Amino acid sequence: MYIIETKQLTKSYGNFAAVSGVDLHIPKGAVYGFLGPNGAGKSTTMKMFLGLAKPTGGSFTIDGKKYPENRVEILKEVGSFIEAPAFYGNLTGKENLEIVGRILGLPKSAALEALELVGLTPYKDRLARKYSLGMKQRLGLASALIGRPPILILDEPTNGLDPVGIHEIRTLIRSLPKQFDCTVLVSSHLLSEVELMADHIGILNHGHLLFEGTLEQLKAHAENQGYPTDNLEDTFLAVIDADNRQRGGIR
Amino acid sequence: MKTQSLSGSDRYPVHDSTSRRGGYGLKPGLEYKKIKRTGLLPAFVCCGLLAAAFPVADMAVRSERYLSLPDSPVSILLHADWQMMSMLNVLLLVVAACILYHTEVSDNALLKMCSLPLKESSLFFSKILLLIPMLIFTLALEAAALGFCCWHWLSFSPEVLTELAYSMGFSLLLLLPAALLSLLLACACKNMWISLGIGVVCIFTATMLPADNFLLSLFPYAMPFQILAGMQKETITGFSTAAALESLGLCAAEIIFLKIRRWSA
Repeated sequence: MYIIETKQLTKSYGNFAAVSGVDLHIPKGAVYGFLGPNGAGKSTTMKMFLGLAKPTGGSFTIDGKKYPENRVEILKEVGSFIEAPAFYGNLTGKENLEIVGRILGLPKSAALEALELVGLTPYKDRLARKYSLGMKQRLGLASALIGRPPILILDEPTNGLDPVGIHEIRTLIRSLPKQFDCTVLVSSHLLSEVELMADHIGILNHGHLLFEGTLEQLKAHAENQGYPTDNLEDTFLAVIDADNRQRGGIR
Repeated sequence: MKTQSLSGSDRYPVHDSTSRRGGYGLKPGLEYKKIKRTGLLPAFVCCGLLAAAFPVADMAVRSERYLSLPDSPVSILLHADWQMMSMLNVLLLVVAACILYHTEVSDNALLKMCSLPLKESSLFFSKILLLIPMLIFTLALEAAALGFCCWHWLSFSPEVLTELAYSMGFSLLLLLPAALLSLLLACACKNMWISLGIGVVCIFTATMLPADNFLLSLFPYAMPFQILAGMQKETITGFSTAAALESLGLCAAEIIFLKIRRWSA
């Protein structure tokens, strides 16, 4: 069963197609890695799922609910972290989460729980604007995780984190489906990172979905195409490079 | 990070349909939480006190100028000081609207709000619902000062209180379009300085409009300068109807603007 499914999803800005006819199939309970170089259309796709950008073509359903008819119903089930941490700088970390919790109709304890989940409890009373970049990133993650949503959409959640932080967040994301019975869609431009946490991946380049499947299926696909398979990073680069060459050398 | 401690939590049910409710409702209480440490509340108190100090200072310095006038005490005071007091009120509104939306935009919080089960227009209406009690507080401070002036220098009777209450109610109604337009501008401009600049230009334009021209006085930033005392009944009805219609029109404009912005994103 697919919890997120898109049909020929397209987003164009004038003549430029940021996302072009994408058919995604994200299984329930999976950690789905959304891979692609910068500007591939990952964030735009995620923004469409959240109603922050209007699709110019195609359609999608989330947990059987169709957009745009069920936008609010969809958002009730989705926790998200898009582009950069978004918060009220004049409020503390705890106050920020209490606001999100109140909008979601959650008990006050939900804010503390989310803070603990991302390791921000000792800094809960510090103003969010005084947080370091890594702490802001964690706060953004906490606001996505609050209330344990059944679907999580995370756009490059490890940006700005130090190696220890990256490892912690990676471990957390990997554990979420088991802990909270949720589905995670996580984007990254690093295959090395995605392969450590995802069980399904989708590779996007210039708005086109080049591959969708499990890591084993990617290896098999690469072998078929004659791409290197020793290192998945090389496989990913070869897939992207082949697509770029096919498009006339566009990078 | 402590992930294990949470795995067996039973504080609230996981994925229960009631655990993440969200909704369309107006949440002025939430908006009140958001303005913490922005200086908005002290700004309302200070501006209210400054505007209230104006008639007191005026009467303390040159009360003899007003004592022989035949009008009612409230009318005398309002005609002498209301222009300056209402200027402060409108300036305060413009600044408040800018601060309210600056907190949403400065650290990208608006993006988070838009990805929550919440109608963006409810943010706008919650902000106006937050502004109204603050305005009432400011007007109450000003009314108290005017009442004190009547009692101390002119004549005080229960009619003075009634006249003050009507005058402040009328002023509140005429301030609504300016408040809504300021919020609409602040919502439309991501850069706070642009909305602040437009607001200030609008206020100065309003002060230059001829006060005896009814149509020009309907400019949202010009209406708060009107004084109820001594006004004809038809004019009162005209201004009240115009303020209500302008307010409804601005609310509709905000909803349309948000829809266009969302769909062009």
